[in-house]
Formats: sequence, structure tokens, C-alpha cells
Amino acid sequence: MFGCYDIPFELEKEGIALSLEKEGKGLVYRSACAGARLEKILLAETGKVFINPIEPLNKPKELTSNLLIEFEKTLLIEPEATRNIFITYPIEIGVLISTKTAVEVLDIFTLVRQKLTLYGDPRSGAICKYWMSNVYSSVPSINPLHEGIIELSITNTTKEWVTVTKAIFNAYGMKIYYRDDLVAMKASMKIMHGNIAETDFVDAPLEPGMKKSLELYTVGKIAVTTPKFIMEAGL
Amino acid sequence: MIFDTVVYGNVTLFDLFKVIAILIVAVVIARVITINLRRGLKDKLDKDHLVIITKVVYYGIIVIAVLAVLPMFGVSLSGLLVAGGIAGLVIGIASQSVVGNLIAGLFLMIERPMKIGQAVNIAGTAGVVEDIRVISTTLRTFEGLYVRMPNEKVFTTDITNYVEYVARRLEYVVGIRYSDDADKAIGIIQKLHEEHLLTLISPTPDIFVDNLGDNAVNIIVRIWVPTTEWYGIKKELLWKIKTALEDQGIEIAFPQCTVWFANELRSGEGAVTDPSDSQLP
Repeated sequence: MFGCYDIPFELEKEGIALSLEKEGKGLVYRSACAGARLEKILLAETGKVFINPIEPLNKPKELTSNLLIEFEKTLLIEPEATRNIFITYPIEIGVLISTKTAVEVLDIFTLVRQKLTLYGDPRSGAICKYWMSNVYSSVPSINPLHEGIIELSITNTTKEWVTVTKAIFNAYGMKIYYRDDLVAMKASMKIMHGNIAETDFVDAPLEPGMKKSLELYTVGKIAVTTPKFIMEAGL
Repeated sequence: MIFDTVVYGNVTLFDLFKVIAILIVAVVIARVITINLRRGLKDKLDKDHLVIITKVVYYGIIVIAVLAVLPMFGVSLSGLLVAGGIAGLVIGIASQSVVGNLIAGLFLMIERPMKIGQAVNIAGTAGVVEDIRVISTTLRTFEGLYVRMPNEKVFTTDITNYVEYVARRLEYVVGIRYSDDADKAIGIIQKLHEEHLLTLISPTPDIFVDNLGDNAVNIIVRIWVPTTEWYGIKKELLWKIKTALEDQGIEIAFPQCTVWFANELRSGEGAVTDPSDSQLP
């Protein structure tokens, strides 16, 4: 499903129906996904359409740039060690139209359950998009329209054993790579103290041959701050 | 020497140069201080207030410098001080409230209990902060009214900021009948929370039987939501709770009174069943 399409196009997969057809002198975009329908008129004649996995922070509403992934099982990492794990994250699919000079978002949808949570306390905490994931030691088999994979490299810089129950990422820094059967990112978590860690993303594909997704917040006009997230309210 | 040349009265050319030098130094000092002030307060104050403060400081230094050099021209400051003192007293009494508001405004800018654009309640007036000026603060009430409040009043009264924190709790009291299953009702409300896209998983919602009321079993529902979504969810969720409970056969109780008669009412023959059938006048 992911990829670049010439206009006009039409596709249907797993309950998602998308089309961009010429009508008169313009184009009409139609989508239907999980009971939601959208129709837009485009005053354009040419362009290309990209269907990409995008940063999962747009649904149900653009309220936060933080994604909190809670681990189903608690992790304990030994002192002064680096270990790699694989976790999943929710997929949001973006439909973007591109001309020679600009890219614009046509539509965003998701097939997975969405929920929000608070990291920290109400005074100084952060609203986060919530996702619960199992922890894997190798790349798990997933449906790329529902879940993506994060290869998380956890480095414990302390001289103590550290318990990790969650990871929080700033979605502005996400570097998503995809192919037909896999959507993935590479991230790192540096534990600086028993209760403090810093997360960041690595701009590299999980496996060779994967294509890079268009980054929604860099193709748009929203200013990007730091792509890192400092977990100060507990791991 | 040329510097001893008298220019005016007892004022020599040297005095004139000294005055010019002092004034130039004062201007330089004033500029340095205002530039540093501007840099230091750039992130803490908005542009309008920053301009006012830097101008006050700049011209204040210049005025002090001018007052310092006036004796060199033979102008007695004691006379000025007496006149200035009397004028200051008059102006001070006349502008007591203005100065109070000005100082309160400065303290508000330092303390920053609210920011422009935030929803607040000041002394019972709720609205969105439109501007925080040196003398007054303006609100746009939720009814769309313009309200100007003197800063002295704002500073000395209670301020409730509705949006300062990222998350806020909403609370309902849901009264169900005594014949209904409270555990089942709590489960239904919990499920509604879990299915809602915008309510928060953490802090954990608190849903429990709070008290056994006169007419109902009262269940308290406390759910945390993002502050920006609080009003919308508050409007939406109560009716959803009501309809979800009713769909499962749980009804919202309403005040009622059961009347027990000392003697059982007669029924059947001779009993009054409909007022229209009554033989009573």
C-alpha cells in the first residue's frame, strides 16, 4: 500500500479505500477508513501522491508530540551496558500530494486504537500518545498497516541495575523507513541516572532497501524544536 | 587660559565642557544599561512593556545626570527640591492609585500568574486574558465582553488559571437506583473511559460509590483529560454515561417519595380509581 502513485489512482486494502480521480478540470480525493469518510476537491491537474507511514501523533487530535510506549513486561538492564530490544508503535498513514515545489497533507488515518496519557504530574508533566508494546529480542512479525517496529538501543551509563517500564519519544525526531511488509525506526535510550534517561532517533533503516518516509513536520511549516526527549519523571 | 573664560555668570568654559562630558557619559551609561535590560528581559516581558521599562530607565538616568550638572550652571537644587517636593506631594496624592496599579502591574509581570491567551477567573470574572498592561489587565469574557481590571485589584485578588497545567480532572456524580447493580454501573463507566480517545490512562480514573443518598446510590466519576479538551469532554461524556447505563438497564434515579398508608387502600368495588369517575364534588 505504501509508496508513490500517479494521478489518477484508486486502491483498496484492509478496509481502507482511497481514490484520486479527475472530475472536470480538477481532482477529487475520496477516502473511507474505519467508518470515517472524507472527500476533498483539488484544484490541480498534475502531481504525485505519496502514501507513507507518518509520525503517530496526529490522531485522534494533534495534542502532543510525545509518544509513550509502555512495556508489557518490566526490563532490568545491567550496569554500564548497552542492549538492543524491539518494540512496536502505532501506525498512522499519511496521504500526501506533491508537486515540484511543495508537499501537502491530504489525509491521515489509522487502524489502531488511540489513547492518551500523562507522563509526570499535571503541573510539569507532558501529555503523550499512549501505546503498549511487548518487548522482543528480534524483529517480530507485524501487520505494517497497524504496527511499526522500533529497534531500541538502551545504554545504561550508571553503575546500578536500572528498571525500565516505558520509553517516551519526541515524534518530531522520528525517522521512519518502510517497505511493503515492514515499517521501522531506530532509536536510542541513554540512561543517565536511575530515574532519568534521554531518547533520540537514529536516521538509518532497520534493514537494507527500506525507503524513507516523508517527514510530516518538516514538509509542513511547523518549527521543529529539539528531537530528543528527556525522561525526568521516571523510567 | 581659555578654559577659565567666563561664559555665563560664574560658569566657565571648563564647566561647560564638564557638563557636556557628564551628559555624554550619562547617555552612554543609559544606553549600556537599557541594551542589557532589553537582552535580559527579552524572554520575560512582551515587547510593549519592555519598551516602556527601557524608556523609563533611559530617561531616568538622563534626568539624574541633568540634575547633577545643574549646580554647575549656578542653578540651586534646593529651590528645585522644595518646588519638586511640593509638586511631588500633590502629584503623589493625585496619582496614588495610578502608581499603585503601576507597581502591581510590574509585580504581575514578574510573578506571571497568567499569560496572554489563557483562560482565567479573576475576582469572579472568567474569561481569556487579552492583555496585561502596566496599569491594567484586560479580559474577554466567555460571553464576549471586554473587561478592564486595574492591576492593583488583579494583584490583590484570587486568580484561578484554568489552563496553566497540562491535565485537568473532570468530575460527575451519577445517581443510580437502589435496585441497580453499582458494580455493573462502575464497569460501564470504566469501559466508556477506556473507549474514549481523549481521556487519559494516567492518572488512573477514580470511579466509586461515594454515598447512599436519599433517592439514589451516588457514584463519583473522576477522569483526567488534557486541559485543552476539558470542556468538550465534560459536555460530551455525561450524556454518554447516561445513555450507556440506560442501555444496560441501569436508570438514573430521581427524587421520589414512597407513601405508606396506615390503612390499606381499598381496591375493587367502590374504590376511587379515576378522579373523573369520582362522585366527589
